Amino acid sequence: MSLPWRKKLNFSMAFHCQLPITVFLALPAHANQSALQPAGPLAAAIANLFWGMMIGGGLILTAVLAMLTIGLLKARRTAKPRHLTFIQSRNLVIISGVVIPSIILTVFVVSSAAVNRDIVAPMPKNALTVKVTGHQWWWEVNYLDTEGKYIARTANEIRIPVGKPVRISLESSDVIHSFWIPKLNGKTDMIPGKTNLTWVQADKPGSYRGQCTEFCGKQHAKMAFVVDAVPEEEFETWLRQQGQPAREPMTEKEAQGKQVFLGSSCVMCHAIRGTSALASVAPDLTHIGSRKTLAAGSMENMPGTLASWILSPQSFKPGSHMPATALTGEDLGNLVEYLLSLE
Amino acid sequence: MSKNLDASKLPDYSYEFKSPLWWGIIGLVTVEGTVVATLIASFFYLQGNHAAWPPAGTNPPELLLPTLSTLVLLASMVPVYLTDKAFKSGNPEPLGRLPLFSILLALIFLAIKAYEYGGHIDFRWDTHAYGSVVWLMIGFHSAHVIAVILKTLVIVYLARKHYFTPEKRIAVTVNGLYWYFVAAAWIPLYLTIYWGSRIWG
Amino acid sequence: MIDSASIPQDKETQQLEQTWGSPPGFFAWFTWVNQKNIGMRFIVTGFVFFILGVVLALLMRIQLAVPENNFMDPETYNQVFSMHGITMMFLFAVPVMEGIAVYIIPLMLGTRDMTFPRLNAFGYYIYLIAGVMMYAALFLKIAPDAGWFSYPPLAGAAFSPGLGLDFYTTVITFMEISALVAAIELIATIFKCKVPGMSLNRMPIFVWSILVMSFMIVFALPPLVIASLMLALDRMAGMHFFTAASGDPVLWQHLFWFFGHPEVYIIFIPALGMISSIIITFTQRPIFGYIPIVLSIVAIGFIGFGLWVHHMFTAGLPQLGSNFFTASSAMIAIPSGVQIFCWIATLWGSKPKLDTPLLHVLGFFLIFIIGGLSGVMVASVPFDLQAHDTYFVVAHFHYVLVGGAVFPLLGGLYYWYPKFTGRMMSERLGKAAFWITFAGFNLTFFPMHKLGLDGMPRRVYTYIDGLGWNEANLFISISSVVLAIGFMLTLLNVLISLRRGIIAKDNPWNADTLEWATSSPPPSYNFRHIRTVDSRYPLWSGTGGLEQNPVVTGIRSDRREILLTSILESQPESRQPLPGPSPWPFWLAVAVAITFAGMMIHLAIPLLGFLLCFVAIAGWVWPKQVEAAK
Ligand code: HEA
Ligand code: HEA
Ligand code: HEC
Ligand code: CUA
Ligand SMILES: [Cu+2]
Repeated sequence: MSLPWRKKLNFSMAFHCQLPITVFLALPAHANQSALQPAGPLAAAIANLFWGMMIGGGLILTAVLAMLTIGLLKARRTAKPRHLTFIQSRNLVIISGVVIPSIILTVFVVSSAAVNRDIVAPMPKNALTVKVTGHQWWWEVNYLDTEGKYIARTANEIRIPVGKPVRISLESSDVIHSFWIPKLNGKTDMIPGKTNLTWVQADKPGSYRGQCTEFCGKQHAKMAFVVDAVPEEEFETWLRQQGQPAREPMTEKEAQGKQVFLGSSCVMCHAIRGTSALASVAPDLTHIGSRKTLAAGSMENMPGTLASWILSPQSFKPGSHMPATALTGEDLGNLVEYLLSLE
Repeated sequence: MSKNLDASKLPDYSYEFKSPLWWGIIGLVTVEGTVVATLIASFFYLQGNHAAWPPAGTNPPELLLPTLSTLVLLASMVPVYLTDKAFKSGNPEPLGRLPLFSILLALIFLAIKAYEYGGHIDFRWDTHAYGSVVWLMIGFHSAHVIAVILKTLVIVYLARKHYFTPEKRIAVTVNGLYWYFVAAAWIPLYLTIYWGSRIWG
Repeated sequence: MIDSASIPQDKETQQLEQTWGSPPGFFAWFTWVNQKNIGMRFIVTGFVFFILGVVLALLMRIQLAVPENNFMDPETYNQVFSMHGITMMFLFAVPVMEGIAVYIIPLMLGTRDMTFPRLNAFGYYIYLIAGVMMYAALFLKIAPDAGWFSYPPLAGAAFSPGLGLDFYTTVITFMEISALVAAIELIATIFKCKVPGMSLNRMPIFVWSILVMSFMIVFALPPLVIASLMLALDRMAGMHFFTAASGDPVLWQHLFWFFGHPEVYIIFIPALGMISSIIITFTQRPIFGYIPIVLSIVAIGFIGFGLWVHHMFTAGLPQLGSNFFTASSAMIAIPSGVQIFCWIATLWGSKPKLDTPLLHVLGFFLIFIIGGLSGVMVASVPFDLQAHDTYFVVAHFHYVLVGGAVFPLLGGLYYWYPKFTGRMMSERLGKAAFWITFAGFNLTFFPMHKLGLDGMPRRVYTYIDGLGWNEANLFISISSVVLAIGFMLTLLNVLISLRRGIIAKDNPWNADTLEWATSSPPPSYNFRHIRTVDSRYPLWSGTGGLEQNPVVTGIRSDRREILLTSILESQPESRQPLPGPSPWPFWLAVAVAITFAGMMIHLAIPLLGFLLCFVAIAGWVWPKQVEAAK
């Protein structure tokens, strides 16, 4: 069982470091991830299919229960049972048990296959490709050009242009994960040793939450990400900027923060492109300042949360592969300032 | 009130499909047959993951020895069959010795397998998926050969103690069935391991 | 424990009592082989595991009641949900169904025991040892934590070091042996031990359902045995069946679901048989559509093997193939529907007695149809891409498992309780318990559909605030307490009625099948007189019912002996002596346990176990005559 004092300890640590305390995990209310509030053509087609099935199923349920009730009440007022004759029973079973279901099911199979065809339809050749790799409990995101060459890398956040189909190529570095953005499309598994393909398209600008849906170990619950659909020009700018190395420190504090980073164990796992930190076993932090969330969508990216995360990742995501780092209040403050400046 | 049904004249033993034991062994054979089918399906499934099968760097197994050993194993069915046939026609006498020939042949089969896998192949069970599935097939089958040898030894021992009267024949029949199964199950395994990848590899 | 009170304690009865009785004493307990003893052990043990599984479910619901709850840490939660699934699927549902079959089938067939009584006992010990090992692991906090289908590579040695998953592979392989043994034995018994005159087309539907279940076990479990063995070898001997490096993680999914889908029908089909029995009895009339019902059960059994890929729609398999599995999954709705309408046709206008067994069947109708329909929905590839691995699926399978299997099972429990114990369960308490359970069930599981569509994945130990899931989760957790209360009331009813229940007559419900033609509870030899039958409803047929029919005489009572008949026509063929009490099944189970569990400690122990098994088997089959000859 988890220790209730852990959280308190963590808060008091944050106090100790004289950092502003923000409310953890306060995500905007619109951050829901309902498959029935589609924001793209695929999810919309599936939602329609669902409503069709839902109505059909409701009618079937009502009809069968109505028959059962009528049948049971039939002989309520009579002294003797009022059985169906053999012929009546036979017709009942054949018509409602075989004929009608066969028709309904044929419609069902055909419409399901029709929606499925749209989902697997081939993508335009020049579509943007995002390669997403699942790691125990975060997402590595690489943007590729049409030749499959690397453009930019980020983590736990995917940006896509509105109204355009985007090809997503899925891999895993360890166990099976599953890539799911309910408002945009159904899920596809990420299987180590294989590459699966899927695609998404957002019709409206907005921020869509996604979550891992294949049980992948201790922190399967906190393996989420955000998809931001933005207008195309904005997207292009963003992508170009993400491809750049990290911005140099502008203030004294930021410069000190950078030294803290490079002097700590962080460099053993993380990369900040443009510095000597080049490890790749953990999220790339080159543009961490521009991200909305931390630790795979578990909390908002703010100075308070970031500081607490660095001090004690295990109290937010027990079992996470990031160890706690002990830093003095000052170092921590500078480090946070530096990281958040990396836009 | 109709007449009662007198069962006292019925025999208190039964043969073949009249005997529950026979059905029991058929059930067991079906279960094990499904296991063999699963193994073979897994073999070919795993093949789909590899450009070459056996994977690059591993030579396909030699054919001569395994083919010989397969023939030896098939031959081991003959004494079993003869024993059963003699017993069915009322002669329990070969039961005390004929199966020993089968056991001998099965031991030769095992010896050849041990020789082959004891150093004359160039992969281990943990080398790659091919090694794993081949070793599992061989191990699974060899364990069955050992089991059926032990079982048959018990039968022979009991036969020498004059335990088997014609009424108890079903135990012998059933052991024979199991022997046939163990020998026959080797054929699809043999074809898979030694020929499957040659044909589709 | 005597035969029907009307028959005097004649010499023959005493003789039978002596021959068939199980010896008293603690150590003798391990030697019992009577089908009713073993069946009852399966049932009681199964329900004990059920209670444990329910407790685990409630723990999960406490954890999930509010977002970011700290009641359990992720390690614990993962063990708890895995053990909940493993318990319910492997340690509760299948063994309880088998237990009822083992108890009831020989009685329904009109015979005195099963064909391989010792094998029966062996199966039970295997099961008991497996279950105890599993829970020992949970209490030591080293239980498996990768779910009941433990996908590699997560379940492999690299990502799940430690003993947890070793317990899983061992115990699964183990449990399968128990189920396979029971299945083979049930098949042989149903084929060979029907009372004369009970030709195949007169067999009660329940017997048919058990026959189909047994065949499904025979074909569905071996792939799992091999798969769990492969996983064990991957973990312990560094093999490469499911590793990403050279093997294929998806192979496990194929093998597991090739077993897993039939598994759910293995649980469901006996329940269908129970429903037919209850409906026949409570409407007091022959069922409409005996043949369509039997054919439907057989069809479900067959089609059940062609659906497994519908659990893998998101794995990126070729899409054309996937559509095929949508179609086959849809197809299975038809035999399910045919049965439902046959039952409705039977119930129509028949003034049934609304006692608790039938209430559970009526509850089944609502719950199962909802579950079946949601099953058809998730069988659609595109929709499943959204619903897969969310609470929508959790809702689906609790509707079908609890509605489709547990409700009929409880109905069956109320129905056969008088036969098991000689006392009736309380109707008043039973009805109260039913309504509370029924309401609690729907309140607990219906909102899960919504939760799933709102994007909540399954197998999460917690969820963050702000996703709109809080209210539903809290509501579900509160409702699950209602459900648990209903469940406690039933349990209470079972316990109280054991002492206080009204004494049951031999045939309290005026049912039609042979298990009611003997005393409640039945004597150790089941039937004093074995009477031939000449109809599907032997206790109802003719004016005098069964009493008019010829009695089979000449079966020896000085040793355990049963009558064997032909498979189709059920003509008498021979008498079969049966073995009596023996400690060897127990020792063999121990030896098998050493073989499998030893693997976790050292790879050489299985070799030792293999030898021990051989010794135990030899001891088991060693004929008495040889010893006498010496
Ligand atoms: C008793 C157990 C039981 C039963 C009976 C069923 C019955 C069915 N199940 Fe279910 N299923 C499970 C237990 C069961 N299932 C479990 C445990 C899982 C989850 C495993 C896991 O992941 O852990 C699962 C998961 C599962 C999935 C995978 C979902 C996913 O993981 O994404 C699918 C997909 O196709 C599915 C489909 C079906 C179908 C089509 C039926 C059909 O048989 C239903 C047929 C019945 C009806 C349709 C109702 C009656 C019929 C009528 C009234 C006639 C008229 C009807 C029509 C015209 C439609 N089931
Ligand atoms: C038969 C099978 C069965 C049954 C009965 C249940 C019963 C319950 N289950 Fe289920 N559950 C599974 C099989 C079952 N479960 C499986 C296979 C999984 C998947 C595991 C995995 O992912 O690996 C699962 C997963 C699962 C989850 C998802 C966990 C996750 O993904 O994180 C949850 C969450 O709420 C849950 C809750 C419950 C609850 C509250 C009950 C309660 O309803 C239990 C309360 C009781 C009853 C419904 C019955 C009433 C009984 C009586 C009235 C009488 C009893 C009589 C006697 C004892 C004599 N279960
Ligand atoms: C042993 C490896 C390791 C070390 C050392 C390490 N991290 Fe991490 N870090 C990780 C991993 C793994 C994650 C992803 C955790 C998760 O989400 O489960 C992560 C996540 C993060 C994130 C969130 C990234 C995102 O996109 O959500 C930040 C910020 C971060 N680390 C900063 C640091 C800093 C600063 C240090 C040094 C003081 C550090 N890390 C040291 C492994 C490490
Ligand atoms: Cu990654 Cu679940
Ligand atoms: Cu299924």
